[in-house]
Amino acid sequence: MSGAIIFLLLACLMLTGMPISISLGLTVLTFLFAFTNVPVESVAMKLFTGIEKFEIMAIPFFILAGNFLTHGGVAKRMINFATALVGHLRGGLALGGILACGLFAAVSGSSPATVVAIGSILLPAMERQGYPKKFGVGVIGTSGALGILIPPSIVMVIYAVSTNASIGKLFIAGIIPGILLVLLLMTVTWVVAKKNDYPTLPRASFPTLLKSFRDSFWGLFLIIVVIGGIYSGIFTATEAAAMSAVYAFFVAVFVYKDMTLKDVPRTLLASANMSAMILYIITNAVLFSFLLTSEQIPQYLSSWITDMGLGKIGFLVMVNLLLLAAGNFMEPSSILLITAPLLFPMAMQLGIDEIHLGVLMTVNMEIGMITPPVGLNLYVASGISHLGLTETTKACAPWIIVMLVFLICITYVPGISLWLPKMLF
Amino acid sequence: MLAFLDHLEEWLVATLIGAATVIIFAAVVHRYAAAWPIPGVQDFLLGLNMSWAQELCIYMFIWMAKFGAAYGVRTGIHVGVDVFINRLKDKTRAKFVVIGLMGGALFTAVVGSLGFRFVWEVGMRYAVATTFGFQWPDLTEGPVSPDLEWPVWIFYLAIPLGSYLMCFRFLQVTWRFIKTGQLPRVEEGHVDGLDEELAKDDLLPAGVKGGN
Repeated sequence: MSGAIIFLLLACLMLTGMPISISLGLTVLTFLFAFTNVPVESVAMKLFTGIEKFEIMAIPFFILAGNFLTHGGVAKRMINFATALVGHLRGGLALGGILACGLFAAVSGSSPATVVAIGSILLPAMERQGYPKKFGVGVIGTSGALGILIPPSIVMVIYAVSTNASIGKLFIAGIIPGILLVLLLMTVTWVVAKKNDYPTLPRASFPTLLKSFRDSFWGLFLIIVVIGGIYSGIFTATEAAAMSAVYAFFVAVFVYKDMTLKDVPRTLLASANMSAMILYIITNAVLFSFLLTSEQIPQYLSSWITDMGLGKIGFLVMVNLLLLAAGNFMEPSSILLITAPLLFPMAMQLGIDEIHLGVLMTVNMEIGMITPPVGLNLYVASGISHLGLTETTKACAPWIIVMLVFLICITYVPGISLWLPKMLF
Repeated sequence: MLAFLDHLEEWLVATLIGAATVIIFAAVVHRYAAAWPIPGVQDFLLGLNMSWAQELCIYMFIWMAKFGAAYGVRTGIHVGVDVFINRLKDKTRAKFVVIGLMGGALFTAVVGSLGFRFVWEVGMRYAVATTFGFQWPDLTEGPVSPDLEWPVWIFYLAIPLGSYLMCFRFLQVTWRFIKTGQLPRVEEGHVDGLDEELAKDDLLPAGVKGGN
């Protein structure tokens, strides 16, 4: 009963369009004040303990690292390397675009920025080479979402923080699904290109390939710093994030020289702005899950799920549907912070691996980025291509279906996500 | 005065995130560098105690988060679910926008006051009383942080200060919205240096223009 009131209250507040963090906080205050005897002062205590975890601090560091490398020059280097690698295949520029999106998204950590950076450079070139505009928009708009899955991923850190799962394991679990998804998108694109006889690029000579690899390597090495550093135990996840921020600064200013020292304060400010927003949602989500726990809602849901006799697969399908629906209205970090504390105890009850659940939720978030009405990737893709939002959505539709098929694979075959972390840890 | 506040806010959050990065970087480098047997240097490094780095970083980020959240109101980065209200008529939508902003102001004001009461009880009252020589009853010194051993109320002061500032920003944005109908918006997916790259136009190898 109290659960129904809480979620009704939250839904009402959210529908007014007020910030999600504020809706969460106000729900807690209103409920505590109106329906319980819990002193509102206990909220004050929670406000302090909410973000006092060192693990959470990985988020601002990763955002900072990503922002240092979110630059047209880096995008260009990734595109050059990707097209040198796969450009000679049928639909070469499109295939290169997918690969470049994967690489750039991993390094920059932002889906919309990936679509803008890769799309602005690649879409005009694709059009000039004779690709239909919709094809290019569909490919790039969808591939921009890859970054959420390929480590370092901020969405994964948020999942880890709200469920106490290991950040290192999650990152490593994301590698194989990430590569698989890139290959899957490329295969589908290649088949479409073959059928329509889309153009190719001349095969890059070996020296060109080598040079483009050397150029992009500095940026890509960031992924190795993070994964290698955490896996080998040299750094904790948060330290790895801080090291990657320093590394990204060094590469952007002294190696690539995309950025001068004068630009650094602006990047710091933009990163602080973004981080503070996410940390503010986290603080209020901690308050919210404190309320849920004190009303024993997770326990209630867990016993309900056992009574339902839903089973593992039934539960995961339900999770998928819930997250896909939520993905239509909210951005990834808010969805994860609200749903993870509820879904996690149920999943544990059913014996689902926490890492598997994390990867599954992350893939769901990816799809949320490219489905209307609030798929951020669609907005930016429509912005750079000057195609209407409906046209952009239609253009992305075939690849969205591919992503859904991929989601089903991830849901039913835990091995895709769990094999590598089981091998390594 | 307001421009000064704006600059102070921006300067504070940018400095905090930058400094926290440098501190953690230094702590990691120190941990590994101290293991190298370089005469003199090693003794010096082992003499340095960096165990406070993690704690300081957390507190810097709490300050960054609270003041950054206030800055974020001004830049419009705190997004909500606006799909529904965006379909309403402009006048009705405007009412909802104001309700949303006032909700933000209300919440931050309540949190700021709760936070201030907490900070006051947890050590600020004692600090004020001892500094100015007030003879208040029941004076107890508040707890100190484990590594730095600074009074925790100083760190926690970020919550009332940040929340009140955020409340002020919500009111400011509301006022501007009523007057001009404009809301601050963050440009999604902004990427620097794209124009330079586009101007180069060297993506396709020479001669490859049409299909082949």
